[in-house]
Amino acid sequence: MMSRRAGETILIGDRIEIVIAHIGRSRVKVGIRAPRDTPVIARELKLVREENRAAAGARPVADWGRLLARLESSPQVSATLSDKGIARQEAAPEN
Amino acid sequence: MPSFDTKNFGPIAFETGDTIEFPRGLPGFEERRRFVAIRQERARPLVFLQSLEDAGLCFITAPVLSVDPRFHLKMSKEDREAAGLGAVRRPRIGKDVWALGVIAVRETGPTVNLLAPLVINLRSLRAVQAVMPDSSYSHRHALPEPAEAVC
Repeated sequence: MMSRRAGETILIGDRIEIVIAHIGRSRVKVGIRAPRDTPVIARELKLVREENRAAAGARPVADWGRLLARLESSPQVSATLSDKGIARQEAAPEN
Repeated sequence: MPSFDTKNFGPIAFETGDTIEFPRGLPGFEERRRFVAIRQERARPLVFLQSLEDAGLCFITAPVLSVDPRFHLKMSKEDREAAGLGAVRRPRIGKDVWALGVIAVRETGPTVNLLAPLVINLRSLRAVQAVMPDSSYSHRHALPEPAEAVC
């Protein structure tokens, strides 16, 4: 752990610099200087990327039957869906 | 009417105006920007989000409200701007936007990403996967087993 004030900097190795740019009530603004080949992302983004890759492996037609029983079919939601016609087009039959 | 040959659903026809556009793609799929939502009556409330650039890429999603009826959507300013909602401070599900949770099917059971719903602007169909700020929602929200067998 390390305690820093706004404007102060932390060094990680020779090539990574972290500046505490601004301290708000519940958020901290942090500046990061790192080599181009070091990706800097928020941890949540990495989690989402991994989830998306896992989700892309699902087999829509084979898996959906098992999923349905687990979802509440709230009438309110169904109404919303049928009113807003994003998915007007129906998929072609599978057979 | 354009059509597209998909791996899971075969050829689908769609209206150009129904194309959902993610200007930044999705994390992990940054180059995939154009999708259509496919709904099948017997698969309600699931929504299949089919890429129009990759025949094999199709996400199974569910409206977040069907997973958690009290779901509270929060979007960062950047995400609102990406979806063309810069002027809408608190987008409302069903009125301003659609919010879909991406489902991952694992051996341990299916999970829904409630931390980062797909938020689709209902007026323009511009969309973003919004990582919700200061969120207590899980990126792996378990879909529980039904309490009793559904007949």
